[in-house]
Amino acid sequence: MSARQAIQVGTKTVKPVLSSSQGEARSRVLSLYKAWYRQIPYLVKDFDIPKSDEQCRAKLKEIFLKNKDVTDIRVIDILVIKGQMELKESVKMWKQKGHIMAYFKPTEEPKPKDFLSKFFSSNE
Amino acid sequence: MLRQPLSRALALTSPTRAAPLAARRFAEQVQARPDNVEVFIDDQPVYVPPGTTVLQAAAQVGVEIPRFCYHERLAVAGNCRMCLVEVEKSPKPVAACAMPVMKGMRVKTNSDLTRKAREGVMEFLLVNHPLDCPICDQGGECDLQDQSMAFGSDKSRFTDIHFSGKRAVEDKDVGPLIKTIMTRCIHCTRCIRFASEVAGVDDFGTTGRGTDMQVGTYVEKMFLSELSGNIIDLCPVGALTSKPYSFAARPWETRRIDSVDVLDPLGSNIVVATRTNEVLRILPRTNEEINEEWLADKSRFACDGLKRQRLVTPMMADSRGNLTPCEWEDAIVAAARALRDCPPDKLVAVSGDLADAESLVALKDLLNKLGSENTCTEQYFPLEGSGIDFRSSYLLNTKIANVEEADFVLLIGTNVRFEAPLLNARIRKAFIHKETDVALVGPKVDLTYDYMHVGDSASIVKDLATGTSAHEVLKRLESAKRPVVILGADQLKTQEGSALLAYTQELALRLQDKLQDKNWKVLNVLQRTASQVAALDIGYKPGVGKVLEAGPKVVYLLGADAGVVTRESLPKDAVVIYQGHHGDVGAQAADIVLPGAAYTEKRATYVNAEGRAQQTLVAVTPPGKAREDWKIIRALSEVVGERLPYDNLDEVRTRMSEISPALVSYGDVQDNNYFAQARALAQSLQKPVSGKLDVQLKTLEDYFMTDSISRASPTMAKCVQAVLKQKQSPY
Repeated sequence: MSARQAIQVGTKTVKPVLSSSQGEARSRVLSLYKAWYRQIPYLVKDFDIPKSDEQCRAKLKEIFLKNKDVTDIRVIDILVIKGQMELKESVKMWKQKGHIMAYFKPTEEPKPKDFLSKFFSSNE
Repeated sequence: MLRQPLSRALALTSPTRAAPLAARRFAEQVQARPDNVEVFIDDQPVYVPPGTTVLQAAAQVGVEIPRFCYHERLAVAGNCRMCLVEVEKSPKPVAACAMPVMKGMRVKTNSDLTRKAREGVMEFLLVNHPLDCPICDQGGECDLQDQSMAFGSDKSRFTDIHFSGKRAVEDKDVGPLIKTIMTRCIHCTRCIRFASEVAGVDDFGTTGRGTDMQVGTYVEKMFLSELSGNIIDLCPVGALTSKPYSFAARPWETRRIDSVDVLDPLGSNIVVATRTNEVLRILPRTNEEINEEWLADKSRFACDGLKRQRLVTPMMADSRGNLTPCEWEDAIVAAARALRDCPPDKLVAVSGDLADAESLVALKDLLNKLGSENTCTEQYFPLEGSGIDFRSSYLLNTKIANVEEADFVLLIGTNVRFEAPLLNARIRKAFIHKETDVALVGPKVDLTYDYMHVGDSASIVKDLATGTSAHEVLKRLESAKRPVVILGADQLKTQEGSALLAYTQELALRLQDKLQDKNWKVLNVLQRTASQVAALDIGYKPGVGKVLEAGPKVVYLLGADAGVVTRESLPKDAVVIYQGHHGDVGAQAADIVLPGAAYTEKRATYVNAEGRAQQTLVAVTPPGKAREDWKIIRALSEVVGERLPYDNLDEVRTRMSEISPALVSYGDVQDNNYFAQARALAQSLQKPVSGKLDVQLKTLEDYFMTDSISRASPTMAKCVQAVLKQKQSPY
């Protein structure tokens, strides 16, 4: 069996979630991104969060770019589905202000990295 | 004395060892080795030298014969009868621990007869053993418990038809370390043999016969030995248990961490048993090259000092001079300001007894970065001649284990029994088993064995070195094949220290040059503390005399608690920074206190008196805000503005290996050299000496409290009280 046949056999057994090609998955991601992008002004207004549109767009970009190295189409599809669910929850006002603000992690303190702050902060 | 009969009775030792002295003279020549004999253990053939016991032969093929009284480091008693095995063509079962093998012997360790014999022995032992396992401290590590499960009968025939009760024996009081519950005793006599053979205190014995037999001290008396704790480990049942540890924990509840002891210079290997972040007890760990399987009492019982008098938070002196707790930031910034504002030549660091190599390296690096070369240790060592340039000048070059092989030991100004109890146990072992003789120059002390007392004047060493002494010892030393000379480091503190060292070097090397065995080292210097060798290896200057005379502005004490640096010896405006784990002499004198970790709380390197690097492991976390020592110095260095280039332990150890690879080659010990060069440089120092040699630790009560941990230990304080009380008693 040649290598190509082996790959074909391998790919045949995997059931696609939504997309059947890399391009299709990419377009799903982009349309999700656009949907969020367009919704941002309404979210800022409806939830009355202390962030500007620019800050929210930067956060949106950051959250999407966190998964920039995912290549598995099935994983991308699942992430897109989850993103759509989040968007829907936001649009329908099922979320509350705190849930939106949670994207910005306002209460999380960064862990000390250098020796001195580790020494002073913890029993390190 | 015990010496002669015992060497005859020792079936363990090879025949050459027990032979009389005259026959041994040729022992080093090629000797026709007696052929090994073939014996069969459960039909497995094994070849062993004649004189081996059945039990040892069985151990060689991996057959473990149950035993209570037999112990490989003690003489054979053969009285528990648990090791009975069937031997073909023998009418009765034989005691495997005492029976030497014979050619073609066929031993059955699992036959019906053997099993029946064991079952019978177990039954008899249990008839007179109380069934108080639930309240017995030995529970879980009891040989009797384990073996009755494995070899005992499954049902009891013990019915107390006359309701007379089991045999009961009155408990003995043998001091504050050992709790006795003598009803549990099965008369294995291991404690008696240990006391008379290893500890050299012939106080234990048996009285009565049959059911009236009792193990005890005849009259009520404390077990006056620095090795007494070992009989707790030796006792196969719960008759002798640890008093400080009584009813504290079960062995399956504790976490055991392998570590190294630092309370004497030998670095005995230990196991630290902990639970809920508390050190519960310390047990010895077998290391044939250092402590065999014994442990000195201070190392074993001083662990309760780790919970008392601890420094748990940084402290600074307030306006009235009282130390008040503060935050780490404040203490470090204050210390850093003091270090930065101090002119480099007025900056001094002094390291103490228990400092580990990592913190010593970090502190020296920091001071050197600040431009100061004033790093020193509390213990003095002469710097004239070769000083500390050659490692051979300040180590036990013979090595602890090799002392057993010596045929003549000369001790100069050291009470080795209390300065290094397990080294003394080795000398005693050589004295008893190998006809080694011992001579002592120094005050007359009890070393637990007979020795020739040459006198206590330093000039005796000079006479021996120059060969002008008329004393018998000189002749004995010169005729010895493997002589050992041990010089106590305490003698080097005095004015005459350098001359004394020079003479000792001269004497040892004169003897060494004449030896047939070219690898044998004669010269030994016995250090007093666990940190001294590492400090000298790293390049600390021994002694604080000179730097204190110069009037330092800032003194950094790294666990320096021996009291050589006092407030009175310093200028009024000097700032004293103390880093350490106990509120002892050093912390009292300090303006800034930085709490460090004790040896059970950090992974740290210690180099023992023979130059062997070993590491302790973290058993519990440091209490309160205390931190690992090298990290404190590393943090301080960054605030001072002279950042040390290491952030984790591996990087510190890389730095240590740059200084000396010996510091990180754990468990190994190197052979030392350059004796001749040291001797040549010492020639000019051989000035007349007239002083008397004296030792700090003379009797047992001096031994227990010598450092900040043991001084904080209530158990050690009780020991001192008990010894003093025993002195009042007529026995």
